[in-house]
Amino acid sequence: MISIKGVRNGLVVICDEEPWHSQLSELQQKLDSNARFFRGGRIALDVKTLDLSPEDILRAQSLFRQYDVQLWAVLTQNQATSTRVEMLNMANSLQTEPEDESGASASSHSSTQTPGEPAMSAANDETEAHAASSVTTEGILVRKRVRSGQVLKHPGHIAVVGDVNPGAQIIAGGDIIVWGKLQGLAHAGAFGDTSAVICALDLKPSLIRIADAARSVFPAPQRERARRPEMAVLEQEEITIVPWQDR
Amino acid sequence: MQSVVVTVTSGKGGVGKTTCSANIGCALALLQKKVVVIDGDIGLRNLDIVMGLENRIVYDSVDYIEGRCRLRQALIRDKRAPDLYVMPTAQTRDKTAVSAEQMVAMCDELRKDYEYIIIDSPAGIEQGFHTCLAPADRVLIVTNPEVSSVRDADRVIGLVEAQEKGPAQILINRLMAARVKKQEMLSMDDIVDVLSTELIGAVPEDEAILMSTNRGTPVALNGRGPAATAFHEIALRLTGEEVPLRVQQPVSIFHRLFGKA
Ligand SMILES: Nc1ncnc2c1ncn2[C@@H]1O[C@H](COP(=O)(O)OP(=O)(O)OP(=O)(O)O)[C@@H](O)[C@H]1O
Ligand SMILES: [Mg+2]
Repeated sequence: MISIKGVRNGLVVICDEEPWHSQLSELQQKLDSNARFFRGGRIALDVKTLDLSPEDILRAQSLFRQYDVQLWAVLTQNQATSTRVEMLNMANSLQTEPEDESGASASSHSSTQTPGEPAMSAANDETEAHAASSVTTEGILVRKRVRSGQVLKHPGHIAVVGDVNPGAQIIAGGDIIVWGKLQGLAHAGAFGDTSAVICALDLKPSLIRIADAARSVFPAPQRERARRPEMAVLEQEEITIVPWQDR
Repeated sequence: MQSVVVTVTSGKGGVGKTTCSANIGCALALLQKKVVVIDGDIGLRNLDIVMGLENRIVYDSVDYIEGRCRLRQALIRDKRAPDLYVMPTAQTRDKTAVSAEQMVAMCDELRKDYEYIIIDSPAGIEQGFHTCLAPADRVLIVTNPEVSSVRDADRVIGLVEAQEKGPAQILINRLMAARVKKQEMLSMDDIVDVLSTELIGAVPEDEAILMSTNRGTPVALNGRGPAATAFHEIALRLTGEEVPLRVQQPVSIFHRLFGKA
């Protein structure tokens, strides 16, 4: 089975030893069901010892492209595959950054993403997390304010110590915990986990999503005054907001 | 010489970067500091107009960078203050004419002779912003007291932090105390709350700015109005002096013309 891992410079999709065509169809399923999580990001593919032709690699690249994902590196233990990856002008290790600093002026290319997704890279290396609907317990801790235009994505849980400002986005495969004020957009259970929750000391997001359900949260006057930690949970396909306490 | 490069930028355009750069430059020069104000908005030059020095441009920063003149020749001396210079930019070139490295090198050259180098930068979403950010020791982010302006300022603070140029400071421009009171406008507290970034000062809405811009005489040079006072306080804070933050009540045009309103 294919798994997904969050590392310092993004996400790595790890293949297994199955034949390539069946891996690709599994990959497509995964991309299909989690399109929102992957969209606009970039990914490295770990193909282990598979001996892949240039066409095989290009097929993967175009598959990712269909979902607006950039395949920037292919990691392999197979020498022949590694050479072909190089010939295709892709990185074959996580160390070689595909974009250099001059990408800084590229702030025009996407208005919603800051270069390098700084908050994402604030996470520790090698945060292992399993993909898709399997519930994960791994997560990242981000100790900074997440500002407008910044996007924080992780396949596991995301904990933020600091405020999440209006215009920022937090998208997690698991839960979202904010030790601070949560404004902006928050999406927990992005792979379809309906048991995911969103908690904040001060819960005032513009939009929350849990799995496939969405709800706009307008700060009603009494909620404004309530000023207590709250939690958004999915109950009968409706997002409800309850006091933050142990379930 | 102890030298500070201050980049003045914003989230979106038109919030008052050029006005603030010119006035802070003048106010610092009146404090006997050696000051250069650089127009970093290549192709859209207007710092020289705001400062009333348009007719004196012979060379500009791009001429210097491309080797057509010496540094001194690209600087315009503003005689209204002891040591005030303006570095205009080219009108017929685009933002790619100057690279970040060239901007850093030019500022390093200027650091030898000037204590404050103020850069009037394009907004953070525009091309040329990173060029002006590169040499910065301090970054001032100008915002108007409006939700959208503050949201964009927040985004730029994020960009500045990502370049490890922070912490940036906020300069609120065009504040109207009366409208804040009626809760029609964000207050200083509201803005600081969202941005959680230090405030360098708040400049009130002031009609004197409009007239001074047309006349080419920044209010800080001889004005005594609320905006001029705010710019002088900001200049003092830049030099490290502790000036308590307060918001000036804007004086209505009636008050100024007819005494008591
Ligand atoms: N405190 C103020 N009170 C009244 N008017 C002001 C004030 N500050 C700026 N203005 C006016 O706002 C307009 C825009 O100011 P300015 O050109 O300095 O903005 P800018 O941020 O440099 O714009 P751009 O992004 O186009 O370079 C000008 O007409 C100026 O006179
Ligand atoms: Mg300007």
